[in-house]
Amino acid sequence: MPPTDFDAIVVGSGITGGWAAKELTELGLRTLVLEAGRPIVPERDYVEHKPPWEMPFRGLGDRRATASRQSIQSHSVSFDELSHVFWTDDVDNPYTTPADRPFYWFRARQVGGKSIIWGRQVYRWSDLDFEANLRDGIAVDWPIRYADLAPWYDHVERFIGVSGQAEGLSQLPDGPFLPAMAMNCVEQHVRERMAQKFGRERILTIGRVANLTQAHHGRAPCHYCGPCHRGCITRSYFSSINATLPAARATGRLTLRPFSIVRGLIYDKERNRIAGVRIVDAQTKAEREYTARVVFLCASALESARILLNSGIGNSSDQVGRNIMDHIKWGGASGGIDGWTDRREIGERPNGIYVPRFRNVSSRHPDFIRGYGFQGGADRDGWRASLHAPGIGPAFKARLNSLGPWSMTFEGFGEMLPRAENRAAIHPTLADAWGIPSLHIDCKWSDNELAIHRDMNVAAAELLEAAGARDIRPSTRGPSTPGGTNHEMGTARMGRDPKTSVLNGWNQSWDVPNLFVTDGAAMTSSGCQNPSLTYMALTARACHHAVEQLKRGEL
Amino acid sequence: MERRELIRWLVATAGLRALDGLAPADLLALGRDVHRGAAAHAARRTLTGRAEQTVAIAAERIIPATDTPGATAAGVSDFIEKMLMDWHTPAEREHFLAGLSDLDARCRARSGRDFIDCAEADQVAVLIALDDAKQDWFARLKYLTVYGYCTSEVGQRALGLWPQPWRYDGCAPVDAAH
Repeated sequence: MPPTDFDAIVVGSGITGGWAAKELTELGLRTLVLEAGRPIVPERDYVEHKPPWEMPFRGLGDRRATASRQSIQSHSVSFDELSHVFWTDDVDNPYTTPADRPFYWFRARQVGGKSIIWGRQVYRWSDLDFEANLRDGIAVDWPIRYADLAPWYDHVERFIGVSGQAEGLSQLPDGPFLPAMAMNCVEQHVRERMAQKFGRERILTIGRVANLTQAHHGRAPCHYCGPCHRGCITRSYFSSINATLPAARATGRLTLRPFSIVRGLIYDKERNRIAGVRIVDAQTKAEREYTARVVFLCASALESARILLNSGIGNSSDQVGRNIMDHIKWGGASGGIDGWTDRREIGERPNGIYVPRFRNVSSRHPDFIRGYGFQGGADRDGWRASLHAPGIGPAFKARLNSLGPWSMTFEGFGEMLPRAENRAAIHPTLADAWGIPSLHIDCKWSDNELAIHRDMNVAAAELLEAAGARDIRPSTRGPSTPGGTNHEMGTARMGRDPKTSVLNGWNQSWDVPNLFVTDGAAMTSSGCQNPSLTYMALTARACHHAVEQLKRGEL
Repeated sequence: MERRELIRWLVATAGLRALDGLAPADLLALGRDVHRGAAAHAARRTLTGRAEQTVAIAAERIIPATDTPGATAAGVSDFIEKMLMDWHTPAEREHFLAGLSDLDARCRARSGRDFIDCAEADQVAVLIALDDAKQDWFARLKYLTVYGYCTSEVGQRALGLWPQPWRYDGCAPVDAAH
């Protein structure tokens, strides 16, 4: 019989589960990682170098299979004909929403989780974010400040490798960056023109991205092939598969069990401890139990909340499943930039530009609190611009080989406020393919998010105007669907009071002290930065705290 | 996030993103298609005989061989067959086939012969008229032709997109070699 008792159990092997596995094993704990999905073998499963003509639909996707099995997942920007295998099956994994309030729940079940398909943009938070709820009298105060997390940001960034440009901004602290990726000529031009017009208030910098620009801890630098979301055989971007799980395995203390769907936590009432975890084998549907001294939930924000709710554990505050947040997007603008017609990009840079938050930083906006950042970039159209162009014959064919003018795009990512009524609850009747009760998710934007979304168009147009753009086109799209940015968080928030929060300042359950939740569920507010870096830093910090408590006999 | 996706998010045209523009009934129809017998499915073809020749010739007129190979050498008509058979809805497929009949009718009106039997100049003239008229079935044929060509190995090599450069230069001269 393989062992069933461990020092620690980690539920999930994605971006935070991988970190928990690495930290806990390196700190000496025999650790079991339970992953709901299949194993990933890079040599077999990574397909980033497959050319388009080897895909049956040339990248347009298997429309029928998508319609029948992945009609929700297919809305993710990282979903395509090849990467669809890294997203879950919507039929086996159902959930519901009110008919008039759609919510996209993008999920990944395989070893590595969504760290295989993530966008890799990594930005630190600052006290502008950690103090925001207290300042605005919104929800509850974060129990930590930037100073608490700064050393853990360092710790994480040094390991994962982040390329970026230090800018010295208080609202977006710098880290130990690898050399920045290059901006193209038009992006450099826009940066300079923005600096002339806005000074330090609105700056344009190259994206901070977990793609390597030089060899790092045995991983090769990026070779600019493009589709990172299909895997990376050179391990040039950070994922659990590429970095943390190998580090955990090297300790000899890691046990990884794929196809292990957590049905619930086992509670020892006498000791008030989690005794272990009950799983169902995804393939055989057999049930198993594993025990440990400490349990980390790293299953993703909504899945971790679902496990807590299905287990009836950790919810004395009634905050589990509540306060769902995402980032609102689809506001912004594009514009044409004249010149540089003799220049083009070579290669696919897996990164764009970033305009750090500038609203409500040094002055107060009349219409909303908090703010947003812009991502985007400049490029020239290639053959795709000809798909709807007039003409046929030799002249039309020659056009396929020509490049269009440069255009510059800014897309906003806006903060969402925590609201108790944005809530996931256990569905009264619906269950997944393994009989585990599903979620009903009820979440919508508030007026503050909608005001932020409107302002994105205005401010992006101002940036393009400053850059001398012509034909400025503000976004005509309405707000994105909640969940659609795949930054869902907040469903088991940290706080200072057990009555109003699920976790203390160490991501530790107020109710059951050997239970930690370190994925996006722990977030007390949403910031506007891409959140994975903060999840990772919180995870590493919580692991060290848990091990100290174990050593002191407190768990 | 894939950068190309990010940069182009404002461009509403994108064309054939898998499920865009489909009504719930279409989605259900697509779903039902999946569950049909795969073996029977593989045997059927949408474009047979003269229809296949019509599409192959029309594609070559849209992207002819010049100093680089054209649509025929790139196997574009096989891609169009695959898309019609396994990607489009039955209604879209019927609409496309009706378009091919319309193409023959226009050729007969012009020169007394079906499209594949016309002189090349007549074929080109009829296709240009359809293009100018923005006939939506022709727009689909043209989209599939351009897409199929540009994503084929022949097309990718002709356009200098393959092999990939495996480096990044954000400000390279337009005529720079990889």
